[in-house]
Amino acid sequence: MFILNSQSGIPIYRQILDQVRRMVASGQLKPGMALPSVRDLALRHTINPMTISRAYSILETEGLLERNRGRPMTVASQSRNHSQLPKRLLQIEPLVKQTVMAAKQLQLSEAELVKAIRREWEQSDE
Amino acid sequence: MNNATIEASNLSKSFGEKQVLRDISFGVSPGDVIGVLGKNGAGKTTLLELVLGFTAPTAGEVRVFGHQSYNLPGQTKARVGFVPQQDELLDQLSVADQLRVIASFYPRWDAEMIARLCADWSVDLKARVKAMSVGERQKLSILLAFGHSPELLILDEPVASLDPIARRQFLEQLLTLSADGQRAIVFSSHIVSDVERLANRIWILKEGRLDWQGDLDSLKESIVRLHIRGAGSELPELTIPGVLTVQREGAFATAVVRDWTPEAHQALEKSASVQIEVEPLGLEEIFVELHR
Repeated sequence: MFILNSQSGIPIYRQILDQVRRMVASGQLKPGMALPSVRDLALRHTINPMTISRAYSILETEGLLERNRGRPMTVASQSRNHSQLPKRLLQIEPLVKQTVMAAKQLQLSEAELVKAIRREWEQSDE
Repeated sequence: MNNATIEASNLSKSFGEKQVLRDISFGVSPGDVIGVLGKNGAGKTTLLELVLGFTAPTAGEVRVFGHQSYNLPGQTKARVGFVPQQDELLDQLSVADQLRVIASFYPRWDAEMIARLCADWSVDLKARVKAMSVGERQKLSILLAFGHSPELLILDEPVASLDPIARRQFLEQLLTLSADGQRAIVFSSHIVSDVERLANRIWILKEGRLDWQGDLDSLKESIVRLHIRGAGSELPELTIPGVLTVQREGAFATAVVRDWTPEAHQALEKSASVQIEVEPLGLEEIFVELHR
């Protein structure tokens, strides 16, 4: 369920955080759904289990996941993870920042960038 | 009593005039998997040998399960497993006999696990040690160190001669061993991608000193490459905190920094009115950058 690359400069725990947050925000992960155990993930991806535990703990603190005694962690049922708009926007901010920077390097105007995004948006709707 | 697996304080080691290790301190707890990185001659093997008590430190001390390492009681030694860089197998024996000899030293030998691993790793019990390839010998030395389920496992370049499939099997077994959180593993390797998978903590030895020690995650967050862009055609003079290397070209600069934080990022962007893009680095690149 996760795409994890141990050789990336982005630490594994961050890769997990980003992917769970995105999947919860988009509704791919629904309240009550179980996540793979730390041990299973570690063995399946051949990565250190501590970095996975760390990601799960952070997500628990954020209220996104719930710890269940003796059972796998689940997506929290709270309405608060029915992510409000600002929180979802925050998720995409790094990508926006990167796109804007690239556009400036290419000396594109704001209008041209917005137009390109709109075109892409409409195409992906078809 | 704390339950630290290893505690080292101000360790130094000289051989004659030559100082190999300088003022090294660290702690290892159950559940830790520590990857030891360093160039050839950086002192990795000497450091592991000090922990194992094969040699006494010139200054400082290292305690393993609370005991001075070079004076370890027999029952504490039995809690440690070691895979040396150069194997210490007995050439005249068969694999089965070699396993039997080592098993006889340990009352808690897990014959079932070893039999399963021999099958999984295609280790031929009937083969003569003398006739085995370097890779096969390495597999056998690893098995010999695993069999008594040590609480501290020390491996010095354990996989240098293994093919990618055998290495992956070995990594999976190490993860299985470490997954219960009760054991500590310290291993040195030049195969950085293995270290990146397995370790949660990293020690980088450089000229006999611990140049960096900490979580792999924090290492990747603190040593990064910055791409800096100024507003005008010439970049202003910059004071970049923690800079390791920097290259300037007109309105642009590329810098590798250590101890990078979001706060440092914001402060620099504001004070120098530049835009900074952070490029995260893989462990191999971090290692190379620390040695420039």
